[in-house]
Amino acid sequence: MKSEITLQTRREFLRQTVLGGALSWTVPTFLANTFAALQANAADPATQAETGRDSTILVVLQMAGGNDGLNTVAPFANDHYRRARPRIGLDATKVLKLNDDVGLHPGLTGFKELYDAGRLAIVQGVGYPNSNRSHFRSTEIWQTASDSRRFERYGWLGRYFDNACAGCDPTIGVSIGRQMPEAFAATHPTGVSLENPQSYRFIPGGRFRPGEASGTEESFRKLNAPEAESMDESGGTIGSISGPVRHTGSVLDFLERTALDAQLSSDKIRGIASRVSNLATYPGSQLGNSLKLVAKLIGGGLPTRIYYVSQGGYDTHTNQVNAQERLLKDLGDSVQAFVTDLTGQGNLPRVLLMTFSEFGRRVAENASGGTDHGAAAPMFVVGDKVKAGLLGQYPSLAPADLFQGDLKFAVDFRSVYASVLECWLRTPSEPILGKKFAPLPLV
Amino acid sequence: MLKSLPSERWDFTTAAHLLNRAGFGGPPAEISELARLGQAGAVSRLLDFESVAEPTSDPAWAKPDPDRTERLQAARMAGPEERRKLQREEQVNQRERMVGLRAWWLERMASGARPLQEKMTLFWHGHFATSMVKVRDAYLMWRQNDLFRRLGTGHWPELLIATARDPAMLIWLDQAQSRKEHPNENFAREVMELFTLGEGHYTERDVTEAARALTGWSYDRRTQDFVARPRWHDEGSKTIFGQTGYFNGEDFLRLLVAQPQAARFISAKLWNFFAGEWPSEELTTALAAAFRDGGDSFKPLLRTIFLCEEFYAPSIIRNQVKSPVQWLVGSVRVLARPLPPPLVCLNLTRNLGQDLFAPPNVKGWDGGLSWITTNTLLARYNEAATLVQGAPPPAMAGANPKRPIAGKQIARRLGPVRIGGVEVDKLFTEKERTEIEALIPALERRLVQAKFRPDQEKVLREYLASEPQLDDHAILNAIRLVMSTPEYQLT
Repeated sequence: MKSEITLQTRREFLRQTVLGGALSWTVPTFLANTFAALQANAADPATQAETGRDSTILVVLQMAGGNDGLNTVAPFANDHYRRARPRIGLDATKVLKLNDDVGLHPGLTGFKELYDAGRLAIVQGVGYPNSNRSHFRSTEIWQTASDSRRFERYGWLGRYFDNACAGCDPTIGVSIGRQMPEAFAATHPTGVSLENPQSYRFIPGGRFRPGEASGTEESFRKLNAPEAESMDESGGTIGSISGPVRHTGSVLDFLERTALDAQLSSDKIRGIASRVSNLATYPGSQLGNSLKLVAKLIGGGLPTRIYYVSQGGYDTHTNQVNAQERLLKDLGDSVQAFVTDLTGQGNLPRVLLMTFSEFGRRVAENASGGTDHGAAAPMFVVGDKVKAGLLGQYPSLAPADLFQGDLKFAVDFRSVYASVLECWLRTPSEPILGKKFAPLPLV
Repeated sequence: MLKSLPSERWDFTTAAHLLNRAGFGGPPAEISELARLGQAGAVSRLLDFESVAEPTSDPAWAKPDPDRTERLQAARMAGPEERRKLQREEQVNQRERMVGLRAWWLERMASGARPLQEKMTLFWHGHFATSMVKVRDAYLMWRQNDLFRRLGTGHWPELLIATARDPAMLIWLDQAQSRKEHPNENFAREVMELFTLGEGHYTERDVTEAARALTGWSYDRRTQDFVARPRWHDEGSKTIFGQTGYFNGEDFLRLLVAQPQAARFISAKLWNFFAGEWPSEELTTALAAAFRDGGDSFKPLLRTIFLCEEFYAPSIIRNQVKSPVQWLVGSVRVLARPLPPPLVCLNLTRNLGQDLFAPPNVKGWDGGLSWITTNTLLARYNEAATLVQGAPPPAMAGANPKRPIAGKQIARRLGPVRIGGVEVDKLFTEKERTEIEALIPALERRLVQAKFRPDQEKVLREYLASEPQLDDHAILNAIRLVMSTPEYQLT
């Protein structure tokens, strides 16, 4: 507790000196002094709560849009499945069999290898009571770990920051992308977001130095990169869902705090990104690039415990087959490269990756070769220490067992969160999740 | 509720607030002119824009392209190599148009004669958030944009029905492919959840029944237009919101707008867009009543908003986070500089987190505080320098070694991207350019239309005094510094 008070005081001190005049810190000389002061702080062991530098790390991977779980972990031998999906169903010859009943989507070769290597756990039939079929409300439920009929102001990772990481370095949580996920929303805003470490800094002169990637050069690259805008096979209307940001203080206070966090983190992050090299080849996709950056930051020893990455496009109402194939291939290959990279660094034993999607999809396909919003779906957990294999029961597909055409969930997603919090992040889950959920034997 | 603003409060500050929110802000002279007109006159100047001529013409390519279907068909039939080449050409063509379309729209916002019409077009783009990533046809994206511009301050049922039948929307939410055998629920759900009622104000049964009513509304690739396909339509009886009938798409949408919640939903969303915070229950009720009294049209509601005292509350003024588009357009307007070249604008708004015509999802941009992250705030501070001090053209070599031809193609067609800076003598008088005491209030009036905090003013003064002389270089740095503050991110 004592160190926490010190930390708050130091943070307050920084706020006053660095932002004494909100203007002052942008003046180059102030900037240099500030960074010098900050380096000294970072080196002071008393200021460090338990961080990812030496402790476990969780990577959360959001599959935005509602991934079709039935074609991801397919019950290929099930008659009800074949009947409900005459056009898009996967048969025994296509799937990557896990046993006589279920198999992975053929695009998930990366996951199959991880599964065979004992590094992949699949939690079947995950959902929550009174499932909501809105992308946004359901994403919010997953992000805030709330009951479906209650509204929570803060995210489940934000409550973890509040409970277990008060006073930590802002990089305790890092989200890759332009927006913060609602899961990070906390009483004390914590965590940073970044997309490209090269531009993650304040450029005093305002001009790009020769040889450095300039903004416009980047736009050329994006305009010409085949993946950048996924102009090919589109994966629907959900590119990403971050959710709204909430904050208790004033708007100006929020801005100042964000400015400070940017200052506190930018040098360190850029330093690591330029110093550390990746030890695996990733797909050139957005997800591949995100995980590539996360691997670098882990390798460089950023004191982060939660990383957040997102892959979008799973809202496959039409022509699902090609879109899902492309997305799952990207997912499996990116995660596999990430695991290879961390293995090379020797960091894999410290890292756990967990996927989630806001819902699964209807059991029956629709008339446009796609599927509509549904309920329960599987989650994937990847790591060296996971209890690999299939967990839980595959929900029954018998029409009499469905609710409004959807699978009934067998595992509440908050049980998975509870396992991750207690067994992996080593923190009591009840204060964070609001009630007790029985942890699963995941790690 | 909805008291009128006392006339003595109509001054430079309130006029600036109106111009910032109902438009994209502007230089001090423009604000003074609105202040001089009085509140009703100023609101009318912005809102009754039909009397103002808008000289911008449509992009040359903004018309149906009957050959496109054939080109796409030819590409599909060709051998693998030829197919890739043809698809690549089409892709580059579409992307180039999209870069141009974004610039065309930004130009209308920045220098067009009808700022509120563009602001409402931006509102509807964020509301009916449709992305070219899925639509993949620049003409259709332009057409939807044009629809929002034409009907954006008009009658709600008319706008909603036109949008539901709009080709880009038909593709975006899969309505084009919905058939009676097993209706696609995508549009039926989102039109209730996101466009008219809000989550929790309809049942799952309403979704499936509405999806049935909407079957048969489709898109014809050949004509690039809406088409009704009677054989795809479910003729049966449907029960929606407790009412039963042989509803079709239009019946359903009219039923939807007639729900009491519909008036509350859209009025509250508009208030949040313009005022920067969600209205109280009481205020929502008053706004919804004003909307119904105005015959479900937006112009009377907007007039009510811009005239009422609540809109000018001290807690509302200068307390809204600028959207990236507001930041860019507002900045070039107060800096009296042209918009940067199209590719630079594209890159800049993307870096700040708002790529026009490519919202992150069908709910649009979350806005408000979510515009601000460590990443996007640094980007704002750095892009401020681009606008104020200019930037050299990028090194073209190595832009993308794998696709050199397309890179050169786009670059050649769009021209060089050197960006000029701000011309100081356009912004400040001789006296303001030579005396710190005159410059500081001029910076305040132009950039934030409010006083700097005393400590900020002190830092600025110290900075200016530390320069060997008060020249353009020092003034540009001062402008950039003001733009790199938390306060400048608010409007």
